[in-house]
Amino acid sequence: MKSAKHSRLGRSWLPAHILVWLYAVLLVVPLYYFVASAFKTNEEIFASPFALPSSFGLGNFSTAFHSADLGLAVVNSALVTVFSLVLTLALAIPAAFALARSTGRLASLVESVFSLGFLIPTFAALFPTFLLAAATGLFHTRTFMILFLPATAMPLSVVILVQFMRTIPREMEEAARMDGASTFAVLRHVYTPMCLPGIATVLLLNFLTFWNEYLYSLVIIGPDPAQRTVQVALPTLKSITGTDYGVLTAGTVLTLVPVWIVYTVLQKRMQQALVSGAVKM
Amino acid sequence: MTTMTSTAGETAVRRPTPPSPDAARRPRRQGGTILALPALVWYLVFMVGPLVAIFVVAALHWPGMLQPVSFAGFDNVRTVFDDPVFWDAVSNTAIQLVVAVPVMIVCAYMLGYYVAQKPPGHKVIRYLLFVPGLISTPAKAMVFYAALSPDGLVNGGLKAVGLGSLADAWLASPSTALACLIALDIWAGIGFTAVLFAARLGSVPEEIGEAAQLDGAGHWRTMWRIHFPVIRDYVGVVTMLQFLWTLFGSAQHVLLLTQGGPGSSSTTLSFLVYQKAFIAADLGYSQTVGVFLFLTGLVGLLAIRRAFRQNH
Repeated sequence: MKSAKHSRLGRSWLPAHILVWLYAVLLVVPLYYFVASAFKTNEEIFASPFALPSSFGLGNFSTAFHSADLGLAVVNSALVTVFSLVLTLALAIPAAFALARSTGRLASLVESVFSLGFLIPTFAALFPTFLLAAATGLFHTRTFMILFLPATAMPLSVVILVQFMRTIPREMEEAARMDGASTFAVLRHVYTPMCLPGIATVLLLNFLTFWNEYLYSLVIIGPDPAQRTVQVALPTLKSITGTDYGVLTAGTVLTLVPVWIVYTVLQKRMQQALVSGAVKM
Repeated sequence: MTTMTSTAGETAVRRPTPPSPDAARRPRRQGGTILALPALVWYLVFMVGPLVAIFVVAALHWPGMLQPVSFAGFDNVRTVFDDPVFWDAVSNTAIQLVVAVPVMIVCAYMLGYYVAQKPPGHKVIRYLLFVPGLISTPAKAMVFYAALSPDGLVNGGLKAVGLGSLADAWLASPSTALACLIALDIWAGIGFTAVLFAARLGSVPEEIGEAAQLDGAGHWRTMWRIHFPVIRDYVGVVTMLQFLWTLFGSAQHVLLLTQGGPGSSSTTLSFLVYQKAFIAADLGYSQTVGVFLFLTGLVGLLAIRRAFRQNH
């Protein structure tokens, strides 16, 4: 079967192979350039952009780390991401549970209200959100982002979790009820453990979104080094260092490391997350 | 990531609620709906509230954060429509959409089809395609900044192959700034979208393609005549998302790479919303463009949905 499949992709596929690998090269070259440049000086980068670095000193990394306070920024990003993820799950799991098991008209109305959230352009709402932050006295704080980000994640998270929870047979709940379980006990001991794959999916997708969030963090948290996230700190390297490309690329590489580790370790899960997030019809 | 978000949403919007034959038998289940309340409140406060506020602020004279506010009615609309910068932004956005979205969707579909055939090395390709999806907007912008600056990768590459005369200050030149932003969209968008298509094509029954091949259809025909109609709805959904993503998301790249310049040669509508609100502090103007953007998004969505639903 397998060989039959490969023979199907005959000589006529040569242009396709070439084009696809060309695109792959286009994806890899800038990344290679980045990692290589992180170990070079400006002069080396200009003189031979494609050459391997002559030494693997970590000078650029420590300069980037210190001049843009990247260490603190990573901590801030981690705080925002982790607390937002916890809050997202705390809100989305009970909501999905309620919507998945109830059959009333109200529930389906609530579900479609969540679904319509996908049509809201979060970007156009940037200024009103900024007003909201100012009105609540949480402007220029990470706290507001921790409260705000879960709201943006709610439509996707609820929709995915509802789909997972609908696959759990009703008999499971009935059995638990027979044993005298309360609604909360059913949620805790039946539904939550059984839809762990769904929860993992929601966690991964939101991890990427929260960690990489830029525009809202820039406007809401602002430039204060004590509060800003790593995505906001990164572009400041451009001006602080008078564009020392070595330092700039080193800083960028640093911000990619957490995402990279998660992706490489959980690559399969990540692809599955993508499939359930986007393809479930 | 917004991409994925909205895909699932579209799906859910369209999918009718499954009939529940046993609803009448178990009325007590409905009591639990209250557990959805905290999530709903959260979402209404932080998402729906600001959306409504866009329309309110658009009807106000608000020349700066600390300035007095007065009701303007449709004055802002008149100011915006009389401003040549706004029309530059409209045409830049139109160019961006007309070039980026079709190129991205067509290339991504073909690439997704290629990956779904599981050619040699498809696992490596799949791993790489997702890479732009992982990189944050500032990091992507830094990649392009370093590549396109006068001493950057592209000019270095041109000099290395003896085409130094073609080197340019790509981001600072009025004729290429917008093109660079479009290239960034396409570069990052194709791979990611292709992964979505590959995943969807993977769930098309293999017999369909095999039957067509037995009838003598080549791969090109199978790709466009057999598989494309099967996943046509899904292509429509992804197109809508890329359209929205390009329309709304371009502000971040513009802000990081060109600041809308030189002149207004790379000012897009979404960047204009940001620039008027947070740099020029003309809030009524900014939100009027926001409303315009929102309506454009809505009209575009309906048009794309229609285009992909005809002859079905």
